[in-house]
Amino acid sequence: MGYYDGILLGLSTGSVCLAYCGPVLIPYMLGENNTISRNYLDVSLFLAGRLAAYIAIGFITGVLGKFLLQPSPLSSMITGISYIVLSLLLILYGFYQFKEVCLGRSKSRMDSASGKNKTILVPLTGGILTGLNICPPFVLAIAKAAALHNITKSTVFFILFFAGTSVFFIPLPFLGFFKRQQVLRTIGKFAAILSGVVYLYKGIMITFN
Amino acid sequence: MEIKSDYSTTGNLRKTLLMMIPMLLLTFLFISGGKPDFSNKVNVFAFLLTFLFFNWLFFMILFTGKTNRYRKTGFIVLALFFSFTFILNLIQMRGSMTFSDNNLLSCEIPFCHIVSTMVIIPAVVTKTIIFPGRINEGFASISSMLVIITGISVAVGRGFCSWGCFYGGWDDGCSGILAKPLIKKVNPVFKWMPFAVLLIVALSAAVTLSPTYCMWLCPFKTITEYQKVTNLEVLFQTIIFLILFAGLVLVLPILTKKRIQCATFCPMGALLSFTNKVNIFGLGIDKDKCNNCLNCTKVCPTFSITAKDVEKGKSDFTCTKCGKCIDACSKKAIHYHIKGTPVNKNHSLNRILFLMPSFTLLLIFTGRPLLNGIELIIKLITTGSLI
Repeated sequence: MGYYDGILLGLSTGSVCLAYCGPVLIPYMLGENNTISRNYLDVSLFLAGRLAAYIAIGFITGVLGKFLLQPSPLSSMITGISYIVLSLLLILYGFYQFKEVCLGRSKSRMDSASGKNKTILVPLTGGILTGLNICPPFVLAIAKAAALHNITKSTVFFILFFAGTSVFFIPLPFLGFFKRQQVLRTIGKFAAILSGVVYLYKGIMITFN
Repeated sequence: MEIKSDYSTTGNLRKTLLMMIPMLLLTFLFISGGKPDFSNKVNVFAFLLTFLFFNWLFFMILFTGKTNRYRKTGFIVLALFFSFTFILNLIQMRGSMTFSDNNLLSCEIPFCHIVSTMVIIPAVVTKTIIFPGRINEGFASISSMLVIITGISVAVGRGFCSWGCFYGGWDDGCSGILAKPLIKKVNPVFKWMPFAVLLIVALSAAVTLSPTYCMWLCPFKTITEYQKVTNLEVLFQTIIFLILFAGLVLVLPILTKKRIQCATFCPMGALLSFTNKVNIFGLGIDKDKCNNCLNCTKVCPTFSITAKDVEKGKSDFTCTKCGKCIDACSKKAIHYHIKGTPVNKNHSLNRILFLMPSFTLLLIFTGRPLLNGIELIIKLITTGSLI
């Protein structure tokens, strides 16, 4: 398992992240009616928040992986089974409209309701909270990072996972894609199903080899 | 600016024949490959038959005003004869349709257009061509196919999927077998699936530096070439491509009357949809003539016209420009259209301007396989052997 897997997982599920958690930032940007450069600043702050959350999660996962999941036939079986379970979750996620735990979304709603969204803290905290979003790609990333059994590697894995998902946020400031947002969600769901199938195969191979 | 001249060829023999002149020359050029071989009677007969077939198709498209009916005939012939000659070619070269590790190592695998979706990112990032084919020599080399695909994208956009793809004729043909569909409703949301497939195969190919679609998902390995089964993984891959071919290319198109493989799975279709955005040809709907019967939405084989698109007066960017909706429209409200020009003017001229490059594309891809196929069939009849 290499670092590349972090980028692959991030890139292949990034559209899902954008489609489901992007709306945290988008209403804010639309509401502010900012310039493109200001929107880029907001997106950067949002991503900085997500990066902070991912580094924290990567570190914690690495600690757990190092001390609780030492390499052994049992641990590789656990990894394989967790791949299978999480891949099935990813497939289900694609097929059904899950009401996922997306803390950032409620934060955004709260802010827009109270009108307190004038500072840089809004996109930053939005980024941190969506970074902690418990969605199947994120859980799958945790499983993979834990299997590295190394704190540094796990943290780097999450940074690369972050980099992969962040690619999809680059065009966000232009806002032109909103017309097709539903389409993006649909493509994301299909991609999640396909990713799920790939990881299911990997899980089966790890478990039974 | 409106062009006053009437370019309509429908029902007009004189104008049709006049418009045929360039196609007569192009057919001669592309079928012969610039070097006509009239050394024996078989070659002359095969050449004449191919030449007449294409010019009959183009004549009928112009004279009857029906595009899809005759395009489809040529397109199915392309698919059948391409597979027939390709398989025979492999059998002559290798003795079977399978390829071995040695063939892989010596880069003897022909490059098909679908692989383009996977080679671009690794080529840019790592300067590596991840496909085991020849770069610029031999049969179906990588560089020639990439140049051809780029040129086609500029000329007709996703029109390639209905006028040049040597696989598309399979599900196009199967979708026309039944008079009425047995599965009447297919959720059009599946038309976004190819974009997900494109995303996954492009990324996975970039990360693993291997053509993942070819290895795991391509249904057309069934009618071209496939890896010799030597282990469990290859057996698993073989089962997958056989199931996909049977399901997506044969059974579902027959049952739904839709091009299921092209519309809901092919990553190349998704990639070419983006080229539709920059290509000058599209399908325009004259809203003054349209009576909103939505027949076009029902007949479209790739879910590329919805009620919303009719309202907007144009097909979606996934349109393959097959012309089925144009043929089916009782009010003649749908036309080939040059973007940026008025939808309700110059229909005939726009149609001719689209048909010239698109039919030439069909000719380029079908000409040689049909010619070679006819020669082989004559050989079979006269000698009892294809090899």
